[in-house]
Amino acid sequence: MNNIEKAELIVVGGGPAGLSAALAAADYGVNVILVEEREFLGGQLVKQTHRFFGSEKEYAGTRGIDISKFLVEKIKENENIKILTSSRVLGIYNDKIVTILANNKMIKYSPKALILATGASEKFLAFENNDLPGVFGAGAVQTLMNLYGVLPSKKILMVGSGNIGLIVSYQLLQAGVKVACIIEAAPRIGGYSVHASKLARMGVPILTSHTIKKAVGKDKVEGAIICQLDSSWREIKDTEQFIKCDAICLSVGLSPLTDLLKQANVKTSYVPELGGYIPLRDENMETSIKNLFVAGDVSGIEEATSAIIEGQIAGLNVAKRIKKDIDNQVKIEKKIAEAKDELELLRAGPVGEKVRNGLKKIGLDPLKNYGEKVSTEEFDISFLMKTGIPSKENLKKKLPLSEDVFNKGPIAISECFQQFPCDPCVKSCPFDAISENGSINNIPYVNFEKCTGCGICVSKCPGLAMFVVQKNYTDSTSLVTLPYEFLPKPVKNQIVLVLNREGTEICEGTVKRVRDGKIQDKTTVVTIEIPKEYFLEARNIKVDGGQKHG
Amino acid sequence: MKNRASVVVIGGGVVGNSIAYNLAKRGVEDVVLVERSFLASGATGRCGAGVRQQWGTRQNCLLARESMKVFENFKDTLNVNVDIELKQKGYLLLAYSNNELEQFKKNIKVQNSLGIPSKLVTPQEAKYIVPDLNTDKLIGGAFCPTDGHANPFKVTYGYSKAAENLGVEINKFTEVNEIKTEKGKIIGVQTNKGFIETSKVVDAAGGWSQQIAKMVNAELPVYSERHEILVTEPIKPVLDPMLMSFSYNIYCQQTPDGSFIMGYGPDNEPPSFDMHSSWQFLETMSKKAVWLLPPLNKLRIIRQWAGLYNMSPDKQPIVSKIKEVENFYVACGFSGHGFMIAPAIGVLMADIITESDLTYNVVLDIERYKRGEIISEPSVV
Ligand SMILES: Cc1cc2nc3c(=O)[nH]c(=O)nc-3n(C[C@H](O)[C@H](O)[C@H](O)COP(=O)(O)OP(=O)(O)OC[C@H]3O[C@@H](n4cnc5c(N)ncnc54)[C@H](O)[C@@H]3O)c2cc1C
Ligand SMILES: Cc1cc2nc3c(=O)[nH]c(=O)nc-3n(C[C@H](O)[C@H](O)[C@H](O)COP(=O)(O)OP(=O)(O)OC[C@H]3O[C@@H](n4cnc5c(N)ncnc54)[C@H](O)[C@@H]3O)c2cc1C
Ligand code: SF4
Ligand code: SF4
Repeated sequence: MNNIEKAELIVVGGGPAGLSAALAAADYGVNVILVEEREFLGGQLVKQTHRFFGSEKEYAGTRGIDISKFLVEKIKENENIKILTSSRVLGIYNDKIVTILANNKMIKYSPKALILATGASEKFLAFENNDLPGVFGAGAVQTLMNLYGVLPSKKILMVGSGNIGLIVSYQLLQAGVKVACIIEAAPRIGGYSVHASKLARMGVPILTSHTIKKAVGKDKVEGAIICQLDSSWREIKDTEQFIKCDAICLSVGLSPLTDLLKQANVKTSYVPELGGYIPLRDENMETSIKNLFVAGDVSGIEEATSAIIEGQIAGLNVAKRIKKDIDNQVKIEKKIAEAKDELELLRAGPVGEKVRNGLKKIGLDPLKNYGEKVSTEEFDISFLMKTGIPSKENLKKKLPLSEDVFNKGPIAISECFQQFPCDPCVKSCPFDAISENGSINNIPYVNFEKCTGCGICVSKCPGLAMFVVQKNYTDSTSLVTLPYEFLPKPVKNQIVLVLNREGTEICEGTVKRVRDGKIQDKTTVVTIEIPKEYFLEARNIKVDGGQKHG
Repeated sequence: MKNRASVVVIGGGVVGNSIAYNLAKRGVEDVVLVERSFLASGATGRCGAGVRQQWGTRQNCLLARESMKVFENFKDTLNVNVDIELKQKGYLLLAYSNNELEQFKKNIKVQNSLGIPSKLVTPQEAKYIVPDLNTDKLIGGAFCPTDGHANPFKVTYGYSKAAENLGVEINKFTEVNEIKTEKGKIIGVQTNKGFIETSKVVDAAGGWSQQIAKMVNAELPVYSERHEILVTEPIKPVLDPMLMSFSYNIYCQQTPDGSFIMGYGPDNEPPSFDMHSSWQFLETMSKKAVWLLPPLNKLRIIRQWAGLYNMSPDKQPIVSKIKEVENFYVACGFSGHGFMIAPAIGVLMADIITESDLTYNVVLDIERYKRGEIISEPSVV
């Protein structure tokens, strides 16, 4: 009965938050036991084939799966970390004993500190027939496709336009599944505009102020009835519409997985901005129970970048408490301060407002260093956030002031109009030609003087929002260089169909160059020659037998 | 919420609801019940759900037998359409020593005299009733085929519905903070949702009944004690009766949906209001259960939890008025078997409050301890 093992730190959950927490503490000599219920580490990251947003420092611009590989390698190299996979933490008891189910046995640990990084679970939606086979959660769809290589359906209806809904829609298209449309109950797209624009360019309709009324089908989904909503979210009469599809994917948010915290009697509070019940905690990520810390989505739904930083803060604080020598204390203190600054910066922009409001509700001050001078959107992006298509006014602001600039040669155009924490474009340009004016939350601008049109940024931008145009390629043609992430890849001299920002076919083009090397990392950079009149319109291509459209 | 009541019943467990229903059935109007959380949130919703008539004292046997009649005819008796999931596949009590077997023999005599169809069984017969039973060291047992278990949530809900149908007001999430008295007389109850003027209060607050009594400066001779319990994943039916051993201190049943519910009486558990679970319970319980029913070793545990036993000196309930304060009534001290006798307790309390003769010939008043009229119940876990 008393075979209880002692431990310094137990980290529960092997997602980005747990991995970074374990590393941060182990780097200062803390002995860590990292417990993950699945058979592999990585959490949500292992199914995220897209490039991440956020700060270059926390691996933005890199694909989720690669971030995971990188962190897991570092974990495996670290002698201070013991990894327990296929091991589920069952309980945290009053006497601080942690029980774990490993190899069908309950084992017990008595740790000095605990960091819970258990992530989140998907929310569901109530509508008629929602138990028909073919109604999926977005997480399930992602796992099926990206982890197990199984197609969920042939044609899908996506419900929810947050980043997850948008990204999973895009990944479905990549896998060859048609997306009938994306519906969103709010009057505005929930995710980042660049993700929505990618889908708009492929002709996928995004219907805001729409919801699902019922799933249709006998033994499985054969379609869905959707309808329009008014400004107070009531159904508008006679707007019902039948959408033919063989699957419905729900992407309507996540809620923190707080069961273990509740069992451990951590004080929680209901904060809708952060996904539901969240643990009360201080800025060092410590909960109402001493030496019990949280990090990542379980402390409030946010993103991998913030999860990683929160993990660091929690891990460092445990190190500070356990490793008491003066030398380390100073170093750790400094690192904690840096991490906090970074987190604050990440949340400082307009898209961070929801998270900030949530944090204020649990008594934290998310903008200590910034006061209230948080930037509001620089552009009027209301049309963009309804459709995924930038307005003429939006575009004008990102194009050179004078037409003459186009005469100079190839230049990059950044079609990124929303303020959110992201900087791979800035960090990737070897000529320092893109700037965000000092804040990761600002809109990037190209300095056309400095830009050489090299096209490096085109594959680095996770929003696929960087293009290079060369207006005067010949007297009658221009070159447009764009990112392309579908199979089959185009080949030189192939004729392809050219689409505009709304996904409409506008002309044919000839492939002049295909860059698909290691730096491009699967985001192929394609240069096409097109009639000159379209150089500001042509933003996507359709390769024979390639991408399927809405 | 009403601001005036003829009687305020404190506690929305099975006992409080049974009392409220029985008062209304006698024609008492304006009965108000207050529960600080949801109905059955206390011991009732946490209990092992066993209903047995195999007791050692005549009183307990009588109360259990009368209550079983209600469980058997629940819908008709209460006039509510609630299925309480009564499963009457018996209680098999196991004896591992001669003393135990002797006690069973004595008990069965009492039980049979009241018409309870219990009988002694041999280890072979026990094995026949429960083929998976480990009969190692078993020397005999007692079996009553009409014992069994029922769903405590459904029973409580049924009583509350029936009470509401008769005009009782049930207030959930309403906590009593104070009982106001003037010159030794109750004038009302202060809750977090407002004041209710009343002259009569019934304390049916289970494990917290002594706290409620303190509000009128009465000391009850009871204390509370944590008891833990767990439930497994469901499997096909393999265990008919509720199994119980007093020497190993455990009980185990398979619910109609197929999951097993089991618990044991802890050693040296200090009096407290603690309802936390412990890992020690998981380990000990699984060892005991697997020893008793070896095939259980493949089962997964789904959940564990704990509740409070409210213990009285003779392990029999106290259903009584209180000398110190006029019109303050208590129904407490159920010592781990309040669910199965709740139907009879409601009737008794209604007798006491309406100053009628007691329907059952039992002595459960609080003064019995001073009078020294105590016969301790020998058969508890
Ligand atoms: C489709 C999609 C796209 C996204 N895109 C981006 C993006 O571009 N940029 C970005 O920054 N973020 C993005 N995110 C968000 C990001 O993935 C999450 O915020 C991040 O993974 C949260 O990390 P975490 O470590 O808190 O939780 P998770 O990654 O969910 O990890 C939690 C881990 O804990 C384990 N666990 C849970 N309970 C237990 C237990 N009892 N015992 C043992 N282990 C347990 C789980 O198995 C899991 O592995 C995206 C999310 C999704 C779903
Ligand atoms: C683990 C376990 C197993 C058991 N197994 C069995 C069994 O197999 N068979 C059996 O017959 N019995 C069993 N029992 C005993 C049985 O559960 C109890 O005797 C019975 O439920 C008592 O009912 P009650 O209504 O008196 O108390 P409770 O159900 O505890 O109800 C009291 C209510 O009062 C409320 N309350 C407390 N203070 C206040 C306040 N200030 N204001 C408002 N409301 C308040 C509480 O919230 C609670 O809901 C078991 C008990 C436990 C803990
Ligand atoms: S095209 Fe090259 S030089 Fe121009 S912004 Fe992009 S990376 Fe910089
Ligand atoms: S343009 Fe820059 S800021 Fe905008 S999505 Fe691309 S990398 Fe991020």
